[in-house]
Amino acid sequence: MSGSLKQVRERIRSVQNTQQITKAMKVVSAAKFRKAQQAIVQMRPYADKLNRMLRNILSNMEGEADTVFGTERPVQKACMVVVTSNRGLCGAFNANVIKGAVRVIQEDLAEVRRNGQLSILCIGKRGYDFFRKRYADCRLIADYIDLFQHLDFDHVEPVAQQLMDDFQQKNYDKVYVAFGHFRNAATQFPMVEQWLPVAKIQASGQGGSAKRADYIFEPDMKGLLDYLIPSILKTTFLRYLLDTHASEHGARMTAMDKATENAEELLRELRINYNKARQEAITKEILEIVGGAAALESS
Amino acid sequence: MLEFRMNVSILTPEREVFQGAVTSVKVPGAKGEFQVLNNHAPIVSALEAGVIHIVTAQGEYRFFDEATGEIKTSTEPGKTLQFSISGGFIEVLNNEIALLVHGMREKID
Repeated sequence: MSGSLKQVRERIRSVQNTQQITKAMKVVSAAKFRKAQQAIVQMRPYADKLNRMLRNILSNMEGEADTVFGTERPVQKACMVVVTSNRGLCGAFNANVIKGAVRVIQEDLAEVRRNGQLSILCIGKRGYDFFRKRYADCRLIADYIDLFQHLDFDHVEPVAQQLMDDFQQKNYDKVYVAFGHFRNAATQFPMVEQWLPVAKIQASGQGGSAKRADYIFEPDMKGLLDYLIPSILKTTFLRYLLDTHASEHGARMTAMDKATENAEELLRELRINYNKARQEAITKEILEIVGGAAALESS
Repeated sequence: MLEFRMNVSILTPEREVFQGAVTSVKVPGAKGEFQVLNNHAPIVSALEAGVIHIVTAQGEYRFFDEATGEIKTSTEPGKTLQFSISGGFIEVLNNEIALLVHGMREKID
């Protein structure tokens, strides 16, 4: 009996250790999450202003804006950018992002893949590990796998620029991005967005609200668009990364919270078992003593 | 004395780096450097790599201190601040100036 008692005690200790780790991870993730969330919030004014500028120009141009990044071509070569985290232990977060990417590949890019013209650019180790094993027929780009270590515009911009250059040179006809869309700490959902070519941007829709000031445009409106649209694209790309980053930590926080809770439940059960076993051992010992005493007396 | 003041906010993709009243802003425009003073005509311009000079006016302004990573406030008028940038945009409308820049470093003269 004392054997099982010891076993249970050891189980309890091991579960307690695990719980300590999950608890610590939760706290760490919470701190990182706050930072990641702040990064998104602080980026918003910039992105908003950029979009407002674009609207402004478009409403002055009275019409659609055509850019090199908006040209639809028959899709022969495509790139799927998969943004995942570097580490696991964040629930189904990475699996969901990968699943989303795989679905688009199977539905929209099956033909491209069959022709061997599909590239997959992985940001974050998790996605890379997955696609390396299962998508050996596609061109895997892992140059930017560690992008999350330097999550700022200066480091993200070259990646976006590279993709845009490739699009312009017709190395890709379409670029998708699979990432974790961030809603709040508890809800993140995977999303796959078409990044290039950009959807047609319409000036209308809010025509009245924008006061028509007589702006001077430098260089001319068209030239300005050539500056603005790449900037907007890069900002969007940065947002994908920031979103994923915040989502990852949000998901990990939730996962670790659940794990801590589960450990607590397990501990409660183990403690009951332990006490039961202890009680049993004591009862048995008393019985033995009493039995022994009775045997002595009767003799 | 007339108080010339315009409101400037400088935004980067990472954060707001400056916000407050100024008397002059000089920027490297796509078609050459130009200066924005009080009551400048509305303009939207792309910016090239170069240096932004701003001169602060009477009143409080907020700025991001890169050394400590905090947002600080100051009220020193007539101070010239310089930032080197690698590109961006400026919008001027009714003495409200928005500068959207990237690749920014604070430059101490």
